[in-house]
Amino acid sequence: MPTSDTDPRLLSLLHSPGLWRGSEHPASESGITDPVLSTGFPGLDACLPWQGWPTAALVEIITPQWGIGELQLVLPLLRRLSQQGRMSLWFAPPCSPYAPALLASGVDPACLYVVSAPPAQALWGIEKALQDASCALVLAWPGRLKNRQIRRLQLAASTGRTLGILFHHDPVRQSAAVLRLRVDATAQGLRIEVLKARGSYRQDIVAVTRGQP
Amino acid sequence: MTGRLYQLPLTGKPQRSLTLAKRRAAQAAAPETGLAARQTPLWYAVAIPQLLGIPDEQSRKDRLALLADRLGTLSASVSVEAPDCLVFEARSSLRYFGGIGKLRALLQQLLEPVLSEWGLPVSVHHAASPTPAASLLLARAGCNLLIHRKENLRSALGRLSVQSLCMPASRRRQLHDSGLRSLRDVWRLPGHALGQRFGTQFLRQLDQCLGHIASPVRTYQSPPRFNSSLEFEYAVESTQRLLPAVEELLERLCSFLRARDLSTLHLHLSLQHEAQAPTLLTLDMRHAGRAEAPLLLLLETRLSTMALPAPVSGMQLEAWRFKAASGSSHSLAGFVTEGTGRSAPRDAIAPLLTLLQARLGDAAVRSLQCHEEHCPEHAAGQAVCGQEQGDPGPGQAETLQARRPCWLLPEPVLLRQDNNRLFYRGSLRLRSGPERIETRWWTGQDVCRDYYVADNARGMRLWIFHEREGERRWFLHGIFD
Repeated sequence: MPTSDTDPRLLSLLHSPGLWRGSEHPASESGITDPVLSTGFPGLDACLPWQGWPTAALVEIITPQWGIGELQLVLPLLRRLSQQGRMSLWFAPPCSPYAPALLASGVDPACLYVVSAPPAQALWGIEKALQDASCALVLAWPGRLKNRQIRRLQLAASTGRTLGILFHHDPVRQSAAVLRLRVDATAQGLRIEVLKARGSYRQDIVAVTRGQP
Repeated sequence: MTGRLYQLPLTGKPQRSLTLAKRRAAQAAAPETGLAARQTPLWYAVAIPQLLGIPDEQSRKDRLALLADRLGTLSASVSVEAPDCLVFEARSSLRYFGGIGKLRALLQQLLEPVLSEWGLPVSVHHAASPTPAASLLLARAGCNLLIHRKENLRSALGRLSVQSLCMPASRRRQLHDSGLRSLRDVWRLPGHALGQRFGTQFLRQLDQCLGHIASPVRTYQSPPRFNSSLEFEYAVESTQRLLPAVEELLERLCSFLRARDLSTLHLHLSLQHEAQAPTLLTLDMRHAGRAEAPLLLLLETRLSTMALPAPVSGMQLEAWRFKAASGSSHSLAGFVTEGTGRSAPRDAIAPLLTLLQARLGDAAVRSLQCHEEHCPEHAAGQAVCGQEQGDPGPGQAETLQARRPCWLLPEPVLLRQDNNRLFYRGSLRLRSGPERIETRWWTGQDVCRDYYVADNARGMRLWIFHEREGERRWFLHGIFD
């Protein structure tokens, strides 16, 4: 912003501690910064303020229905975590993950556990897993969520310094999640729309092409 | 300097004999000074050869341990001599029990009910002598003898067969071929030559029997067991109210564990009711622990999901399977850092998994497994967390070549077919294929399919197959991602 250097009134306003600027996001309240993990898609990384997945945060991935390729978005992340031997928990997936396919994509199936539970119990479990530092990633298919519940999960993710990714179909209007992505299928692959990214006002649309079968 | 060095060996010797002489004098003077000379110990051995008839080794061990527990009333040092003997020191308690005859009668009284309960003959062999090795040898040979003095051991053991000693078969044959039948024959030979011919181990055994060298005895210690209970002044109806009592019991358990440097994997909590049988609650943990907070959290989680059948009047906490506590180190910064070793996070997640299992049930948390199989539905499996059979299995080479879907349906879904077109949430378009999978003919349920990758109108990438035999139907089997 070139004007901020020149206009003294604007400058004093910008130095006021009461003013929160949308473009700056606190690196971390506790002073600990975890290494940022790339999404594996340069185009998507570029339009996220963290240049990758946020850390200690809740991410919502909203799709019109499951199985349109949304898992592709997290496969690079899973691969990276599995290489580091870090654990992920999958809560109430719509179907059973197929271990040979994960292995073929470079994800060690031994690095993940699947938790099946009825929706209310699953939410309890997701919160516990997010609060636990030993779990690096939580993938969850919780069904319909209320704003209050999302806020609670976001809080749990920031206390446990865990990344939580929720997959669902019907978004609430306002959500406390740090990052919200809407994913749609196109003929070429996926169309990813950044609905919200905390610390950024950009609402980009990124296209990701699907690998040939 | 040289003078002193020269004198050293000269001055050394008289000094040593002086101390010996002093010691002897002190021993001689002991009765006058009120100190009794050290008594020769009396080791009492019981041989129970009927135990050898039990085929299972573990059960034999357990039974012997149980008998050793019983003998704890007779002596402070009881030793279990596998596979069929018990030895205990009897001299120290001889006067208390009123002589060796009374002791023997008492012993018989202790053993008989247990043995008859197991359906075994009640007669056992007894022997007592100043060395445990000799007592064992005599008891195993079935000589019911009592030898008080060490000097008499030689002649008493003389009549035993050489074969009763513990040694490998080749040594047995060697002894037999040398014409040595009884120990008396062995006593006649010089010790040095014996050692050269039959090995030091053989010589050592003989020396232990005669008391020339000490034979170490491992005193049996009964396994630890935790059992603590609380009675309430009035019956408690809500599980929340039970928690302070649970906390109190866990505090006792944890101080018990810390004192013994143990950790536990299983807890048994029984809630007692006034009019009906107690409610039992068993907690199996993946991660051995002895910290109070996680145990309390687990029991709290378990209690919160259960309904009490009746008001609780008391509770009892038991634990009897323990592991040696193993220390663990935590990361200094309190969070998992990048590049941490492989095994560390996997162990670290165990408490979380235990917590999830406590609330959602054991079967709710599963791990994925790969199998060496060509047939898609048999190539993967799930195992209940904590009950995995071996390693989850490294991947097979063949799946790395062919593309597989990330989601596999539990059962293939029949596809709607209309006018030579396939439908699943819209019409399907084949993208690639076929990949032929023909396997499992040996099971009688042949798998004979052509797999294709297809896209539907909504952007789902599907894995479908066409039966090659029978009705030649089309099925949906998986969804790519």
